Amino acid sequence: MNQATVPLLELRGISKTFPGVKALDDVSFVVYPGEVHMLIGENGAGKSSLMKVLCGAYTADAGQFYSNGEPVAIRSPADARKFGIAVIFQEFSLVPYLNIAQNIFLGREFKGRFPGLIDHPRMHREARKILDLLGLDLSTRTLVHELGVAQQQMVEIAKALSQHARILVMDEPTAALSDRETERLFAMIRQLQAEGVAIIYISHRMAEVFAMGDRVTVLRDGKKVGTRLPGEASPDELVRMMVGRNVDMTYARSFGTSAGEIILEVQDLRSANGVKGVSLKVRRGEIVGLSGLVGAGRTEVARAIFGADKVTGGEIRLFGKAHRGTPDQAVAAGIALIPENRKAEGLALIRTVCDNLVLPGLAKAFPNRLYQAAKARKIARELIDRLRISTPSPFRAVQVLSGGNQQKVVIGKWLSSESKFFIVDEPTRGIDVGAKAEIFALIDQLVQQGAGVLMISSELSEIVHVCDRAYVMRDGRIAGHLAREELSEENILKMGMQHE
Amino acid sequence: MNFALSRPGRFIGALTADLKTIGYRLAAALVICVILTIASDAFLTANNLLNVLRQASLLFLLASGLTLVILTAGLDLSVGANIGLSACIAASVMKLSGSALLGAACGVGTGLCIGVANGLLVALMRMPPFIATYGMLWVVHGITFWYMAGTTIYGFPAAFRALGSGYFLGVPIPVYLMFVFLTLGAFFAQRTTYGQEIYAIGANRESARLSGVPIARRLILVYTVSGAMAGLASLVFLARMNSAEGDIGEAFTLPAIAAVLIGGTSLFGGVGTVSGTLVGALILTLVLNGMNLLTLDASWQPLVTGIIVILAVFLDTLTRKRAEARK
Amino acid sequence: MNEIAMDRPSRPVSAVLARVPGVAWILGLLLIGFSFFSRDFLTGPNLHNIGLQSVILLILALPQTMIIMTEGCDIAAGAVLTLASVMLAWVLVHDGSLPLALAAAMATGLIFGLANGTLVALLKMPPFVVTLGTMGVAQGLALIVTDGQSIVVNNDALQAVYGGNLGGVPLPLLIGVAVYALSHGLLYHTRFGTYVFALGGNAEALKLAGVRANAYLVAVYVLGGLMAGLAALILTARMSSGHPTAAIGMEFDAIAAVVVGGTSFEHGKGWLFGTLLGVVAVGVLRNGLNLLTIPSSAQVACIGLLVIVALFIDGLKGKK
Repeated sequence: MNQATVPLLELRGISKTFPGVKALDDVSFVVYPGEVHMLIGENGAGKSSLMKVLCGAYTADAGQFYSNGEPVAIRSPADARKFGIAVIFQEFSLVPYLNIAQNIFLGREFKGRFPGLIDHPRMHREARKILDLLGLDLSTRTLVHELGVAQQQMVEIAKALSQHARILVMDEPTAALSDRETERLFAMIRQLQAEGVAIIYISHRMAEVFAMGDRVTVLRDGKKVGTRLPGEASPDELVRMMVGRNVDMTYARSFGTSAGEIILEVQDLRSANGVKGVSLKVRRGEIVGLSGLVGAGRTEVARAIFGADKVTGGEIRLFGKAHRGTPDQAVAAGIALIPENRKAEGLALIRTVCDNLVLPGLAKAFPNRLYQAAKARKIARELIDRLRISTPSPFRAVQVLSGGNQQKVVIGKWLSSESKFFIVDEPTRGIDVGAKAEIFALIDQLVQQGAGVLMISSELSEIVHVCDRAYVMRDGRIAGHLAREELSEENILKMGMQHE
Repeated sequence: MNFALSRPGRFIGALTADLKTIGYRLAAALVICVILTIASDAFLTANNLLNVLRQASLLFLLASGLTLVILTAGLDLSVGANIGLSACIAASVMKLSGSALLGAACGVGTGLCIGVANGLLVALMRMPPFIATYGMLWVVHGITFWYMAGTTIYGFPAAFRALGSGYFLGVPIPVYLMFVFLTLGAFFAQRTTYGQEIYAIGANRESARLSGVPIARRLILVYTVSGAMAGLASLVFLARMNSAEGDIGEAFTLPAIAAVLIGGTSLFGGVGTVSGTLVGALILTLVLNGMNLLTLDASWQPLVTGIIVILAVFLDTLTRKRAEARK
Repeated sequence: MNEIAMDRPSRPVSAVLARVPGVAWILGLLLIGFSFFSRDFLTGPNLHNIGLQSVILLILALPQTMIIMTEGCDIAAGAVLTLASVMLAWVLVHDGSLPLALAAAMATGLIFGLANGTLVALLKMPPFVVTLGTMGVAQGLALIVTDGQSIVVNNDALQAVYGGNLGGVPLPLLIGVAVYALSHGLLYHTRFGTYVFALGGNAEALKLAGVRANAYLVAVYVLGGLMAGLAALILTARMSSGHPTAAIGMEFDAIAAVVVGGTSFEHGKGWLFGTLLGVVAVGVLRNGLNLLTIPSSAQVACIGLLVIVALFIDGLKGKK
């Protein structure tokens, strides 16, 4: 790396705050032409916020972009494109029934002889040039929906290049690729490097970081911890940089209760949604953590067990009995799911707190199917008191509640249905510190009363401080298991990043 | 603790829960009445008012089942065609068997079957409701026409005709039916767990699914009820018209949807009441009645109904968008 | 050198057969079936008849294809066509100028198309209910303007449109060909057409690319309205009158033709030639059933069945 090279882009003091959380805190770094600049950090460190700021989807609250010493404004996708920044998100921006050339030049079609007409031959010629540059032997007339994920990704790269991107930001590009396809991608990246294109590469795979990275920047809690050269740093050091921080856990769990019988046992579970063979156990009285980096498949396991996704293989045993079925069958059998996205999947926002709280328990509270508002009110009030849900009244729509209180409703609604096994997905996402402690106290209460909990969390400290033990997932499978003594943030991260 | 309420208690409770939410609309209905009284001498006569009530009752019977469907964020465009086929089948069975009861049963049965078919298409084949019921509309319409083969069936026993044209204590019989089904409908929606689940499905289908609500079964239920109510409404219609031919019922779909929307039920699901639909049916009938009294051609009716539907959907969309922005 | 090439396996017969679109199978079966059951079917005059009858449906179905590709639909099309036909007749009777009458018809279509498009694209209202409402409005207006009666037209220029021919080819057929060519050009050779695919396939991507997606969505519905106005010319010419319920329900045939032809309600998947085949299939079906003296209403039920069969076949093939 020639240190005398002029940087392509410099970020100074970039900050971005959202209500309740500082996503980026005074981040500065430099991008050189032709380098592969790895960006790593655990979930929530700020990587995707940085990506969005770079491509103009977010505007930074503070800080500036510089190029050649001059400030550059990047406040919209158009600005970013003009400057030469292209971002390839995990959900592609491709139109399925248009061909490759049309997708590459969407919105920038070449004008034909008459106004409104498109010069197709020229479009295909130009598209061909780019595909050839990338070494892609695909016909430009292929419809995008016929392509596999790896090929679609190539089309996205081609699209970026056709816009003369000088900086390409890629978010976990190898997540959906096979080894062979990964190799091809790396070859393409090397080619781009040779032409001076800089690549900001977000990764969760330590091996990639060391194989492809020219420099590595570590983010943590929205701040830049440091930039290293892979040759000079060790994976351990990088992990320590990603992890070490002040733990603001105000919840101290007493690990006294010993675990009882096995409530849930899963063997080689496979689902249509990316679960590739998962086995785990949860006993009465335990909080078992399910950890792993974003995309590892944790939510998919939760959904498979609950029946929200189609199970294609493996076995689920609940209280020793084989179980498979739809969510309503799972609920009847005593399983509860607190979904990751509470607004879209856990609550009916326009319905009242009372309505939401009693829904799963309707069958048990009113076995003759005759609903009595008075009894429902009573159940709701009891839950509101017990969980200390702060709401102006049980009859306000649940959307007026704060995040923490909404989450209490999501958890609380299962208490009236006598569930025995709870799958909790990101219980404290978007919740302030005070409420977090209450949520954990609640979960603790559940297991003390004999339930079993499978807890998914991206906050490593939560897993370490709240769980009896934890499984770590990677690429749709269980990468390993950590017992209480082994449970540490570093160990979890190492297992999740494929670094032994 | 005994939570069982007496029947009258439940009835009143179910109704008042609904009625509280429709105050403005009742007021609007009243305002329309006042306007019409001023505009036309013929409005405030016993004959006219009873007529309005009779028409509104029929519309309500049809729209009540539709309300449940729309509550789940669905749609049933086949209700008009449903009335047509159910009435024709009821009529022909009555004639062939001589038994009004058997004919009536077949009429409601037909409506119910169409409803079940819709429910299966929507719930099991996952077809979007508007496509499924739109296709069903034409299929049912076609069957009706083919079955009737251009003939007309008329002349039914007086006892049956009383259902549509008769009076009891000075009030048209359909109005009694209206109250019966208002009670049943409000009761079903507000006082059964099925009702709660239906509201939950409309408010957020995925969330309801993940809370253990059996979505497919409930959807089939609401479409079946909608179909059965269309079947019932067809009997009242048949009794009133005293004849059945191939093209009846067509004109009911748009007014039924209008009644539900005016009544405050949102197309997007989860919001609305059966009582609201009653008031909506009343308001629409009053408007159309007013147009008649002012000797506007009957051809104006689809136009006005169409505009009302568009306005109602527009308001609904605005309200929903504003609610979502607040989230 | 990378080998990210498309796999091209050897082609067994079944693979070739699988590539034949469902509509082609259906059309083939219908043609064979009807020629079996009715002696008059496969005759010159009859086929000529099918062709002429189908032109109006084609002109409705082509823009409907594009609308459905944007994940919307226009069920007011039949009513708007009827109203446009009535307006055309009215202008002819009162003024006599065919160009003026045509302009009136197309203006009618334009207004309704604009209304539909605005409500759907800008106010984000659900297309089905919106067009249900405008259908009622159009229907109502048609009844009001005509007072429920036909407006009979005695106009040579108009009659020439339906009965005349150019070089032996009937004028309506030529108009149909022209409209098809125009639609094909629009969909496959203009930005408008490309964006129709995108509106249904990934509207977000279109917006990210800086395109004014809403404007194009409105334009699609406007096109539908304009075409209904054009179709009114042929309809009125054929009937020599403007009748208030002439084309009520034709949108069902149009939508059926589009769906049978392989266009999907999702993801921006559409095939214009498939719509053409679908229109012919519907025309053949109606004609054949007519020859078998099955009444129009029952024909509609059959068309519904046809749609279900087509969806089923395409569902079978689409099992990737």
